Amino acid sequence: MSMSATFISRDWSEVKPEENPQYDSNSMGMKLLNPLRGWKAFHVTFRVMFIEEYRENLDFAQKRRIVMFPLMLAMITMVATIGLQFLVGESTAQGGEIEDKTFTWDEMRLFLHLPLMMFSLGMGSFAFLGRERILSRAGSKNYLLAAPALQPLNNSIAHLAYFTKDLLYYVILILSPVIFGMGIGITLDYFGRISTPLLWTSLFPTWLAMTVTLAQGLCLSFLASSLWLRGGVWTKITPIIVIVVGTIAGLGLIPMEIALWGLAVQLNTILVIPMIALAFLCAWIASKLILDDFEVTTVSRKELFEPIYAKLRFLGKGTLRLLVAKEFVDLVRSGSLKKMTVSYSVPLIVLLMMAWLVDFAEAPIPINLLSYAPFLGFFGFNFYSWLTALDAPDHMNGLPLSVPQLIRAKVVVYFLATSWISILFVVLMAWKLDEFAALPVALIVMLANSIYIVSLTAFLMGLRPNKAIFDGRIMVWFWIGTVIPLLSLFLLSFTQGDTEFYQNWYSQVSQNGLEATAVEFTNEKMRIGFQGIMYVSGFLIVASILLMKLLDRRWGRAAFNN
Amino acid sequence: MGVTYEIAPRHIQVQQRDRWVMPSVKAPLVVTKNLGKRYGDFVALHPLDVKVSSGEFFGVFGPNGAGKSTFIKLLTGQLKPSIGGVEVLGINAANDPQKLKANIGIVPESESPPSFLTPAEYLQFVGRLRDLDDVNSKVEYWLDWFGLDDKRDTICKDLSKGQRQKIMLATAFIHEPKLLFLDEPFANLDPIYQRKCRQWLLDHVAGGGTIFLCSHVLEMAERMCNRMAIINQGKVLAAGDVSSLKVNADETLEDVFIRLVGQSIEEVEMQNADGSEEE
Repeated sequence: MSMSATFISRDWSEVKPEENPQYDSNSMGMKLLNPLRGWKAFHVTFRVMFIEEYRENLDFAQKRRIVMFPLMLAMITMVATIGLQFLVGESTAQGGEIEDKTFTWDEMRLFLHLPLMMFSLGMGSFAFLGRERILSRAGSKNYLLAAPALQPLNNSIAHLAYFTKDLLYYVILILSPVIFGMGIGITLDYFGRISTPLLWTSLFPTWLAMTVTLAQGLCLSFLASSLWLRGGVWTKITPIIVIVVGTIAGLGLIPMEIALWGLAVQLNTILVIPMIALAFLCAWIASKLILDDFEVTTVSRKELFEPIYAKLRFLGKGTLRLLVAKEFVDLVRSGSLKKMTVSYSVPLIVLLMMAWLVDFAEAPIPINLLSYAPFLGFFGFNFYSWLTALDAPDHMNGLPLSVPQLIRAKVVVYFLATSWISILFVVLMAWKLDEFAALPVALIVMLANSIYIVSLTAFLMGLRPNKAIFDGRIMVWFWIGTVIPLLSLFLLSFTQGDTEFYQNWYSQVSQNGLEATAVEFTNEKMRIGFQGIMYVSGFLIVASILLMKLLDRRWGRAAFNN
Repeated sequence: MGVTYEIAPRHIQVQQRDRWVMPSVKAPLVVTKNLGKRYGDFVALHPLDVKVSSGEFFGVFGPNGAGKSTFIKLLTGQLKPSIGGVEVLGINAANDPQKLKANIGIVPESESPPSFLTPAEYLQFVGRLRDLDDVNSKVEYWLDWFGLDDKRDTICKDLSKGQRQKIMLATAFIHEPKLLFLDEPFANLDPIYQRKCRQWLLDHVAGGGTIFLCSHVLEMAERMCNRMAIINQGKVLAAGDVSSLKVNADETLEDVFIRLVGQSIEEVEMQNADGSEEE
């Protein structure tokens, strides 16, 4: 066999781009393997991805708890099904005047689909996820989504398989238990005096409709993230499109059945096939927008750590300052700061639009600035989740550091990076609603909620919040820990519809300092409501401090691992 | 002007394997023309023309960050060249990287198998993607070959680095490709499996296979390669038969390496010094 190898090395300046060769693929007489493509490649990839997802969740939550999560959902839905008669005013125990205090079936359907839509929008940014996994494949963990870098598989197929896998996984783990819970609720109808207006025949259509809503949220989020990753002008256009579409839907400028495809299916089951097809078409387009780009660019950057560290003088000289500086460097260098700021701001913009809508429409609900303030602080969960996914922390196992120290640093980073955005939105909302007098209290409520939600997330979920959502025990505590204070503050805010009584807060405080009586309460209900809001906010701040202190007990012996 | 290295043919006793059929044609398996990569002003690989035929055990050596991995990634369709083109096994790497990856084996420098799959599951996955016949028996063969039988149901996250490296090697070997690209393949293997893999690779080349091996371990060049190139700062400093690179019989490969790379570093330092003076 004749062998001859040649190497010709040139300087870059010696080569002209027009000298690029044109190679036409030909097998040169060799018998070559043909990789699977299209549906066959999708099928093989989807199957293994599903196993991977199951294993990963099992690894975090363990078998017992992964079963507990659907069980918990089923139980909650069962209770809700039993209580449905009171919500829609069909209970025999309710009087004739009850209609004003109950919900219509249309409203109930909206309550079912809207949160599901929000959840799926939050979970569907697969293009970002895929890119992160490709970039971090040399780290401590590798995923099948990064397989196209080495294996004969393209990124589009891998991402489409990931979308389908996630949809199916959520249908099995979330939607089916919900329907199962409804089924138990109806079954109880046959025993004792429990009565529910829900019918067996409505369960399957509801399951289909919820599946469509879930698919819609996932595919739209997938599409938005794919467009963003195209770079260039798309990084500007995509957030604008998201905000415009969100606002149009939020303002009710298009019928709800069009904004929420699942709602349309709920009203007309025959639409399920076209709607699911539409979701898959969207996902397919999104997957086609993803390029086979496996480049990990090596770019030298300006020194960042020292300047950031110097600016954090207020954190003292300890480990916290070092870790916060390191986290900020990660945040900036990973290019996530812009993405995270946009994703943190979008729900706040939607909330601002809602405030405008409610004010504009003069809705008969006493919603005011204090009603929105707790929710402005609520979206910290997403930001904290992103922070934990920026970099694999495993290298810290060999350093004199503990997991609680890193968690505290991430909470501090969250607070420093997002507080100005939340404050800006509270001020904008106060301006929009013309409730500047209530601004100081709203700021306290917002900040207390913001820091509390993130402290609770950090305490319960540590460095792995994305996986913790399938841990039933953690989610029960998270649900209790967030819903109770949020609901309390929301309901208490209704007592503060008239904000006139805040008007003298500045003169009172400037004249009397801490002795200020501050306000002239014109009625008892308002005074108690105000006290309640301040007590709950104070409690949230104390609870946050306590949770931060308890981190050592919960995560003190944990290994660095996300 | 560019530098051309013509590497003289060297006789290797070929034991044709019956597992796959090598091309009867004498066309080179790897052809590049002006293949280069840059990131902004930083040149990762200066333009290269390469022709490598079947039956070569080709070593690409150089210090850390020399451009070895970039070179391999360009050849395997993992990176798109900034200039020039690549044709491997007659496949245009830029146009059909999927087909190329189906027909070659790649062992990257620092990548692990997916963390939450077992070795058996991942091998089945990569075998099926290539539409191999009788995947299960091939999976069993390679699990057994690498001594991973008892780990077949353990998820990769819980395996040692060496065991994960064995799986990466098994994914590159499972379809017994004509062309293998190995980047520091033995970094985490114990001496027994280093020897076993070395022997398999030598047999593979003897059977007409071709191997591209990237490393900075010169001992491997001495033991395995019949051709080698030394790269530094994205440029090929020398290429040829391993013995031809030596100035005299007493010179070791380490001496060759230090002579070439050391010279190169001195040149850069001199250039830097010139640049400072000009400023």
